[in-house]
Amino acid sequence: MTPVQTIGLLLGLFGLILPFLIPLGSLSFAGQIGLGIFLMAAIFWMFEPIPIYATSMLVIFLQIILLSSQGPMFMDAKLPTGEPVQLQENTWQIPTQALKDENTVLVAVEPGVTEAVVVEIVERNGQHVIVRSDQLSTDKAIVTDTGHRLVGYKPNSYTDYIGTLANPIIILFLGGFMLAEASVKYNLDKNLTRYLLSPFGSKPRFIILGLMLVTAALSAFMSNTATAAMMVTVILPIIAQLEPGDRFKFGLALSIPIAANIGGIATPIGTPPNAIVIAALTDYGKSISFTDWIIVAAPLVIVMLVFAWWLLLTFFPPSVDKFKLEMKGKLNLSAKAIGLYVIFGATVLLWVTENQHGIPSSMVAFLPVAALVTGRILGKNDIRNLPWDVLWLMAGGISLGIGMDKTGLAVWMISGFEWGAMGYVTLILVFGLVAVAMSNFLSNTVTATLLMPLVISLHTSGVMGDSFNLLITGVVIAVACSLAMALPISTPPNAIAMSTGIIRTKDMAKVGVIIGTVGVMLILAYAVFYWPLVTN
Amino acid sequence: MERSDIFILCIEDEQEVLDAVVRDLEKLEEQFPIETANSAEEARQVVEKLISDGKKIGLIVCDHILPGDNGVELLIELHKDETLHSSRKVLLTGQAGLDDTVRALNEARLHHYIAKPWTREELLEVAVKLLTDFVIEEEENILPFMATLDAEKISESIRTRRSISDE
Repeated sequence: MTPVQTIGLLLGLFGLILPFLIPLGSLSFAGQIGLGIFLMAAIFWMFEPIPIYATSMLVIFLQIILLSSQGPMFMDAKLPTGEPVQLQENTWQIPTQALKDENTVLVAVEPGVTEAVVVEIVERNGQHVIVRSDQLSTDKAIVTDTGHRLVGYKPNSYTDYIGTLANPIIILFLGGFMLAEASVKYNLDKNLTRYLLSPFGSKPRFIILGLMLVTAALSAFMSNTATAAMMVTVILPIIAQLEPGDRFKFGLALSIPIAANIGGIATPIGTPPNAIVIAALTDYGKSISFTDWIIVAAPLVIVMLVFAWWLLLTFFPPSVDKFKLEMKGKLNLSAKAIGLYVIFGATVLLWVTENQHGIPSSMVAFLPVAALVTGRILGKNDIRNLPWDVLWLMAGGISLGIGMDKTGLAVWMISGFEWGAMGYVTLILVFGLVAVAMSNFLSNTVTATLLMPLVISLHTSGVMGDSFNLLITGVVIAVACSLAMALPISTPPNAIAMSTGIIRTKDMAKVGVIIGTVGVMLILAYAVFYWPLVTN
Repeated sequence: MERSDIFILCIEDEQEVLDAVVRDLEKLEEQFPIETANSAEEARQVVEKLISDGKKIGLIVCDHILPGDNGVELLIELHKDETLHSSRKVLLTGQAGLDDTVRALNEARLHHYIAKPWTREELLEVAVKLLTDFVIEEEENILPFMATLDAEKISESIRTRRSISDE
């Protein structure tokens, strides 16, 4: 463990208990636990003393132990209530502990929900207080200990937290992962690349365009990382044809991670941050279909790709007129491979036409899951080889969001700041910039996980007024997280491209910062002018 | 370039030849530290020291004619050590007969035979290829090796093994 990781480990553990050491105003007991888990997770995700997927699993573990209704904290907890004693009409005797502050009493309405009732203190009498109020009655149970851990909190069942691993969006990704697994196994990704690249000829500028479009298209359905790794094997032979000092190779090598990062935006299954956003939106009745996501995201992806293409050609102009782009390979025509092509085609077709037939994309995702193993196209070892770490990473992120919302932590975090004064457009801009900035240093999924609960609480608390659009703000977060690519550590595709030793960090930083900045401006323009037209 | 804990071991009794081998592999030394030995006995000591320090031996380049045990015998003996099973083994010689070479192939899983005199390109190419196979087989994080070794093969292994995933 490096010194930084050790510091991260200690800081994270300190974060877990910190909320119990300092006064936090109105935050409930459960909110304090939630805040502790949030701080620990955020610090662990930043410093990575343990792998990021391990932090996600730890989050779920801590939530089921500390926050669930079956965990030791809330297992036997019961909200202490009692009936007020009527002394005269509108005059009541209540226990002193039932007073929340100088003039409110909490009436228990239903589990997790209390209603504040204004009272006027007439007389303090040791353990009891005599108050005047016309809103109390003998059939209303008042909370006799306003500091109790169940005030304002109704614990979820632990199954809500562990159930995130079977969240429809996770199942959607599972379907995508299995298709990708089979595609790699039968070289469908390489063969598709070969066919799709052939119309782009041999002119360097069009080869780069072709590489970027194909990379983006593949990474919209497959993992960005696997796509980038595959495309690196395509560009290395081209780079080997160049003179050693030729700067065009920088552009060539940068085009792959840039296109892979941007391509992930295009579909819900393109990249994990999309899942975090879609899961949170769905929980608040703003589910977005596969088709609608593409309608929202694809136009932005295309504009960003063309812009990045122009940018790379400007910085690193081609030095030769022609290239030889040779990709060897033959289409696999075995029965299993053909089975894969059919399943792949059918699934993608059903996904993109969700609006026409109405079958949810997560249900469609079970078609490849079931068909690929039934047809023995994927075997036991292939299933073991799936990126389960990514599924857990997303599940932990979704689970953290549930906990932050249910404990009132998310609302507490946005309180104390005059959000309404900011204005909706400024808010979009700020969220976009913050997401890009954070995501350059953190995992994209983690960034979405940390920001999405705030978006949700801005929605539920209503502080932004009517102009606030939950769906669009969520999409802003998802898109912005994928536009961070200024550093080798920003995304795994960046790390792979940098590891080839071809690119210099300063080139990646220069191009990445421009793409991030222009990207946020473009997001803002889409959020104001285009997305309101295609969402409701 | 960060130094890895994967070593290259060169065994050769003639000092000048040994120097030439080390010089030819210089490009790799920054990442793969080179250890040398002049005899089978010295080689055993070096191996023992490296293994007890928790280091790995990625590549063994061995001459056949050595004082004491010959190169083929040494390679066979080293191969019996489980920690050296995946180490890539090269016989660099002009004098090993067919029988010895076949034994080395069968019993030490010899990966490559280079006849003396060799060229720098040839040795370097073999070393890069074998070390690439070694890191793909043995290392969890193979990204740091892309710049020095076969980047295409390492990328391909990331694609098929999914050792790196989206985050």
